[in-house]
Amino acid sequence: MRVSVDGSDVEVPAEATVLEAIHAAGRTVPTLCFDERQAPFGACRVCLVGVAGAPGPQPACTTPCRADIEIDTTDAVARRVAAAVVELVLSELPDPPAVHTELARVARELGVWGREPRWRGAVRERRQDLRHPYLALRHELCISCGRCVRACDEIQGAFALTATGRGFEAGIAVGMDVGFRESSCVSCGACADTCPTDAITEPGLLELLA
Amino acid sequence: MSRNLVELTGRGHSRGAPTALEVLKEAVERSGALSDEDRRRAAAASGLPEATVYGISTFYEDLLRPRGRRHVRVCTGTACFAATGGRHVAELEQALGVRLGERSADGACSLAETVCLGLCHSSPAFREGEIVDAGEGAIGRIAGAGAREAAEPEWRSVLPEPVLTRRGDWSGLGHALSSLTPEQLLEEVTAAELRGRGGAGFPAGRKWGFTRAAAGGRKFIVANGDEGDPGSYIDKYLLERSPELVLEGMALAGYAVGASHGVVLVRSEYPRARGILERAVADARRRGWLGPDVRASGFDFDVSILEGAGSYVVGEETALLACIEGLRGTVSARPPFPAVRGLYGMPTVVNNVETLANVPFIARHGAEAYRDLSPGATPGTKLVCFNERFAKPGVWEVRFGTSMRELCEGLAGGIADGHSLKALQIGGPLGGILPAGLLDTPFDFDELAARGCMVGHGGIVAFDERTDMRAVARHLLRFGADESCGKCFPCRIGLRRAEEMFAADAVVDRLRLEELLETLELGSLCAHGGGMPAPIRSLLAHFPNELGLG
Repeated sequence: MRVSVDGSDVEVPAEATVLEAIHAAGRTVPTLCFDERQAPFGACRVCLVGVAGAPGPQPACTTPCRADIEIDTTDAVARRVAAAVVELVLSELPDPPAVHTELARVARELGVWGREPRWRGAVRERRQDLRHPYLALRHELCISCGRCVRACDEIQGAFALTATGRGFEAGIAVGMDVGFRESSCVSCGACADTCPTDAITEPGLLELLA
Repeated sequence: MSRNLVELTGRGHSRGAPTALEVLKEAVERSGALSDEDRRRAAAASGLPEATVYGISTFYEDLLRPRGRRHVRVCTGTACFAATGGRHVAELEQALGVRLGERSADGACSLAETVCLGLCHSSPAFREGEIVDAGEGAIGRIAGAGAREAAEPEWRSVLPEPVLTRRGDWSGLGHALSSLTPEQLLEEVTAAELRGRGGAGFPAGRKWGFTRAAAGGRKFIVANGDEGDPGSYIDKYLLERSPELVLEGMALAGYAVGASHGVVLVRSEYPRARGILERAVADARRRGWLGPDVRASGFDFDVSILEGAGSYVVGEETALLACIEGLRGTVSARPPFPAVRGLYGMPTVVNNVETLANVPFIARHGAEAYRDLSPGATPGTKLVCFNERFAKPGVWEVRFGTSMRELCEGLAGGIADGHSLKALQIGGPLGGILPAGLLDTPFDFDELAARGCMVGHGGIVAFDERTDMRAVARHLLRFGADESCGKCFPCRIGLRRAEEMFAADAVVDRLRLEELLETLELGSLCAHGGGMPAPIRSLLAHFPNELGLG
């Protein structure tokens, strides 16, 4: 079916999402909880876009296209809300994320990177699991995007990771919060590969590459 | 929600296994706190991975607080706040010598917070074991001889022939099975313009139509009895006084959409409701109204009862289904809607219990009679409930379109003890706040929406002239942040930041607050984060001088 992205028509399959239509049109919109290998999750709200006739910005990743939908990736309200969300995300980290991370890139795209922090309040607790030979977990860098948990579930099928807690305290745990070494983790690295903040990394591999 | 995990829970359901959440709840009730061994047993019994079970065990309030030999819970809902300004919590801490959320060193006593016990007519409310005590002298009793069951006022109706405040007699189902095809019943419910009573107001007939049209041999009817709104005890009354009416509504929904199984999720904060429902189900089976081949009609329908575990957001329909499956009660993006892909991945109707309680009347008397109940307003009737600040608190069945003044001054007798009304919060914590000066507003969807308020679920909480409205904002935002499921970023972080803005003596930056409210409203995944700004906006509009704005 035919849809419109930023004024240009593009042909997409009937079951396409708004995000797929944006990509088909050669356009982009920032995302944080999205990984094309995983089912859309709709948690981060950074992919908000304008849709003609909708009551407000719509998340591109979980919104299905309909014929003749008009999508606007430059919608001012959507960009403003997305930027505000990423500013909130940065405010929950005790330290800024590393410059090379996906979170830092998205923050730069939305113009909130390097800004004087406006939100001063509770931050994530520093807690680390560095005992596994290939995988390191720094809980204070986790933004609860769920990508690692879904990678372990949908890609690897190991189910070694889970979301934990609720509200501001939401986080992740490996196994019954025992860390990578004592869990059913098979060391595949899918979680580290998808992590947008370096909360989960493969330090062993980085050392080899260096 | 993960399709793999939902598939695993569906397999567990098919072989009659308990859910992980059921095993964890039983363990905490037995031994007072969860161990890894309990989690392993829950994983083995439910067929879920151990990590998944760990995640579930960290989500629900009922699993999180350590329990002593005596476990006392104190209600921190909005009606209890309106009654004491929150002072009852500190008074109970002092009387018991135990801090909130803690267990005494000798393990004799523990104290936890709960929202809300549904004794809003007699606030403040407390619970010890299965006994809910409330009002005058309750703290003394709990610290002394022990809690005693609080009395509850009768419910009443403004109608000579009540639609909702009556015992169900199964005549609607009897009539439908003998005289209506499923299609005709669906047409009646659609023509009756029955709107969902849980808060969102979605047309029930359309919802049923989606499920009826959805492909799939197995379909479910889920009654949402997770009435989490602090200040509301409408579903408590329905479930405890008229469970037959809710069960009859479920059976009618099953007949209309082609479902043969129903589930009622009743919240754990209403300890009596589950037993009453189970007895009502057993009685209905005995009389042939539930079970295979209902009254020799060829229609099969049965109902099971499940209990929640302490989470407000589980009242949202996708989170409710996750809770029934025994998973973390987090919200999922829609589509897919439960009507098409719901419980265990099957097409599912999720209706609030009050919505379902309207259906027997429609089945028996037809859409026209139903629409005539509230002339010139939203069809049908609505249950409303009044908090302890009113002279005559209780549950009333009322017509839509009645003025708030008639409800508050006529039915509920105005404010008690010579005090005066300052403002009302209508329809739950996501409802706007109506100042006393706007009391002539009619109680109906559009009229309340025009004033930034909503019908919601029908709870009416009065604040009297002594209430500090900044403390109201802090109370609501604390509730909002505590109950966020933690999935979407705006709600997870934004509600905490909003709560922090009102902390202590901080000056509230109005522009920044409004920016944050916009982020919550437009960015959140569900109505929790999206709705929490409504009462804050009301406070900004009507009580700006009390908020400490800068």
